[in-house]
Amino acid sequence: MSPELSSTSLQLAFVCPLSAGMHARPASQLAGVANNFVSEWALTNLRNRREANAKSVLSIISADIRHGDRCLVQVSGADEQPAHTALRRFVEEVLPSCDVPLAVSSPQTRNSMPRVLQAAGMNCYFGSSASPGIAHGKVVVVSAISLPKGLTAEIATDPEQELKRIKLAIAAVRERIGQKLTRSSSPLAEAVLRADLAMANDVLLAEKFAEQVSKGKSAGYAVVETGKFFINLLRQSESEYVRERAADVEEISVQLLDEMYGADLETTVLPLQEPSIVVAETLGPQQLLALDRHWLRAIVLEYSGSSSHALILARSHAIPAVVGVKNARLMFSPGQEVVVDGTRGVVVPQFSAAVQRFYEREQRTLQRQKERLADDPSSPAITRDGNTLEVAANASSAEELALAFENGAEGIGLFRTEMSFLERDRPPSEEEQFATYSQAVRLCAGRPIIIRTLDLGGDKAAPYLNLPSEENPFLGYRGARIYADHRELLQTQLQAIIRASAHGRIQIMAPMISSLEEVLQFKDEVAKAKRHLQIQNTPFQSDIPIGIMVEVPSAAFILDQLCSEVDFFSIGTNDLAQYFLAVDRGNARVAGLSNVLHPGFLRLLKRIVDEIHAAGKWVGMCGEMASEMRYLPLILGLGLDEISLPAVKIPELKHAVSQLSTADCKSLLTQIIACREKPEIDRLLASAQASPSAQPLLSEELIVMDSDSRNKEEAMQELVDSFYIAGRTQDRHQLEEALWAREAVYSTGLGFGFATPHCKTTAVTANSIGILRSRLPIDWGSVDSSPVRMIVLIVMREPQTDNGHMQVFSKLARKLMNEEFREHLLAIEDSRNMMRYLGEELDISVSCVGF
Amino acid sequence: MKIIAVTACPTGIAHTYMAAARLEKIAKNFGHEIKVETQGAMGIENKLTESDIRQAQIAIFAVDIEVEGRERFNGLKVVQVPLQEALRNPEGIFRKLQV
Repeated sequence: MSPELSSTSLQLAFVCPLSAGMHARPASQLAGVANNFVSEWALTNLRNRREANAKSVLSIISADIRHGDRCLVQVSGADEQPAHTALRRFVEEVLPSCDVPLAVSSPQTRNSMPRVLQAAGMNCYFGSSASPGIAHGKVVVVSAISLPKGLTAEIATDPEQELKRIKLAIAAVRERIGQKLTRSSSPLAEAVLRADLAMANDVLLAEKFAEQVSKGKSAGYAVVETGKFFINLLRQSESEYVRERAADVEEISVQLLDEMYGADLETTVLPLQEPSIVVAETLGPQQLLALDRHWLRAIVLEYSGSSSHALILARSHAIPAVVGVKNARLMFSPGQEVVVDGTRGVVVPQFSAAVQRFYEREQRTLQRQKERLADDPSSPAITRDGNTLEVAANASSAEELALAFENGAEGIGLFRTEMSFLERDRPPSEEEQFATYSQAVRLCAGRPIIIRTLDLGGDKAAPYLNLPSEENPFLGYRGARIYADHRELLQTQLQAIIRASAHGRIQIMAPMISSLEEVLQFKDEVAKAKRHLQIQNTPFQSDIPIGIMVEVPSAAFILDQLCSEVDFFSIGTNDLAQYFLAVDRGNARVAGLSNVLHPGFLRLLKRIVDEIHAAGKWVGMCGEMASEMRYLPLILGLGLDEISLPAVKIPELKHAVSQLSTADCKSLLTQIIACREKPEIDRLLASAQASPSAQPLLSEELIVMDSDSRNKEEAMQELVDSFYIAGRTQDRHQLEEALWAREAVYSTGLGFGFATPHCKTTAVTANSIGILRSRLPIDWGSVDSSPVRMIVLIVMREPQTDNGHMQVFSKLARKLMNEEFREHLLAIEDSRNMMRYLGEELDISVSCVGF
Repeated sequence: MKIIAVTACPTGIAHTYMAAARLEKIAKNFGHEIKVETQGAMGIENKLTESDIRQAQIAIFAVDIEVEGRERFNGLKVVQVPLQEALRNPEGIFRKLQV
């Protein structure tokens, strides 16, 4: 219908007063009013000339009405007079009160990005980092709207019947929402339910269903296609608010399908055909494993917990992942090219040349850092005071072991066995398991491997076990608790493991032990399996060590009893922290409380290690805490025998160990355990990083002689990156921000084409001098307004420990005022000579090799 | 002329010393005798003694932060400039002293 004046209609013009535009709530209210009348309600957005039927929420939303848009509504029909009055009342009285605050990403998040990206005005979606790394690829969306098995191409024979099915489903869904509404106590939840209800009632949606069905499609097909049609339509809107409404359409579509087909619905598995970024609401471990790893580049999830098993797997396979990206499936279109920055937790669509350049450089930086650490992966991790820490890898399949040993793993500290039990109709046979375990043992080539028996339940379910769905699975029927009811399953697995022990150094570990009885039963089962194999004359290693996971707090308080029954222990920090601190690690609202730095938790760990050692037994750690470099001083302080972590982190960890001293770490732990407040803990931990004396002031890798940086941001980033590659900082953001904070006082450009950015920070491991000589003139805001070619970076480590270095810095600063010295720096041809010259001039020893 | 000076910047790592070097050099060009105390990350260095202060005709403070022990200079004529001035235009500072 056109917005022109018509003799048979009444019209009303208005300007949209809502800062978030005409989003679902006002749209559903307007449709609610309109549907009380038989007259037609035609709405036109005069900005984009889009026309809508005001009786349909979807139609109104699709008109993309934004703040300040002029709109015209025309009502025509038998009751147009009262309809017009109702419309006027709505526009004047109801509409203005429908406003909601605009959701904007907090400046705090935006400021956490590197300055290069900030300066490039990067447009990105924020989530949080779940697995580091950079990846580039095309979006593949795991849709929640899917058909039951075998229905994909179904053609219906009786359209009437199909339409009836849809109508019945709509009625049922409406009824369900209505019931929820009567129970709802929060206004926000109520608003959401009302929007869902309006969507279920939507006339446009009903029209589309009817259209599909009249073409001979089945009810299920009609719902799927209609859902996808509207989701695509809404996704194209320029308003984030409207794009988010696609979530409501999805929700209703899923509910309708669920109503029609119930449990027959299939979870979609995607075939990948090119470098792909998989975008999903959430992913189970089995879904992740089903993806073709050859093409899988990164994962983006809407769900926000970071220790789910799928994400642990992603980390162990070095697949970058960003989680907690709101409505990710609706924000990105299938096939769209994006960059996933798993390190910073953002997804970047539509990148400019500057952003692309940043990520190309970033990829080079990460590659160089990795190469540098991997110089000699097989050397053991020895602290500065000569103590060795055994470093092992976590793995979930035999295929990962090659990667583990390439990275310098000295054994496998945790071999998870669940994966081969998932996504299948019956458990793997003894032969199949034996093949897996013996292959793994052979690949270990004499190195020890700790095989953990089945740990199902929680977020890992297998259909054939008929595990009931539980209100609180992490406190439920999982791990060793299911063994009593599934003895056969456990026997089969134990026999397979014990048989494989003939080929190498196997240790068996039981998960989720909370009592002595569980241990005794487990040992009985092991003995039984051995007897069985003995009768069959099957060879195995007779003295296989038996151990348990320490992940339930109750186990930590009966260690004296447990020590007399088992040979070794491995601390699972994820579950132990979750249970001990009463924090659901998947719940974003409390996940922040899951802090392994809680003095109570550290005391618990210390108690565990000390008690086990007092009994002369061995204790390792295989949880996430072991893979966080900043906790390493605490781990060394605890005096663990071994730590086991994702393979890709091992080189970095071994290097970090070599920079620390066990004695210092022990006293640090004692101090931290006594701390009362978090800032104090953070400060102590920061001060415990590598000792300054281990690294010279200047090393060749901190000298960039022929930089192609184009501006101040890039040059600063390049210098910070060189610190990162050299292992002098783990926190590039903190270092960069400290430098920029100094620049904010006044520019460090000192004229003559020189700049001396500098800062004091806890983010570096040692006092350092960095040099960058650029090919291009860089504007630095210098005192003489001339561009800069030579950048001399001075970073002082806090807390300060070496006054000698400060004297070198002041000498350097003074020399920079000397013309001859400056000319010389500009003329030197390569980094080696730069090193030599600075070494002589400043009278310092320099390092041409790395650490 | 006998001049004493104090340089101090917020971080005390670089500019304090660059300004000191600059003031020393330019003072010589102008034929002045100068002693510069630096107040940087290492604390006070090349500290001005009571007799330095007594003998000086003028003090230059090229500072971005409060001068430590300012009371030492009570009674002495002081020219205070932002530290950056000692880098940007040190000659200007000395020219000002002569008029």
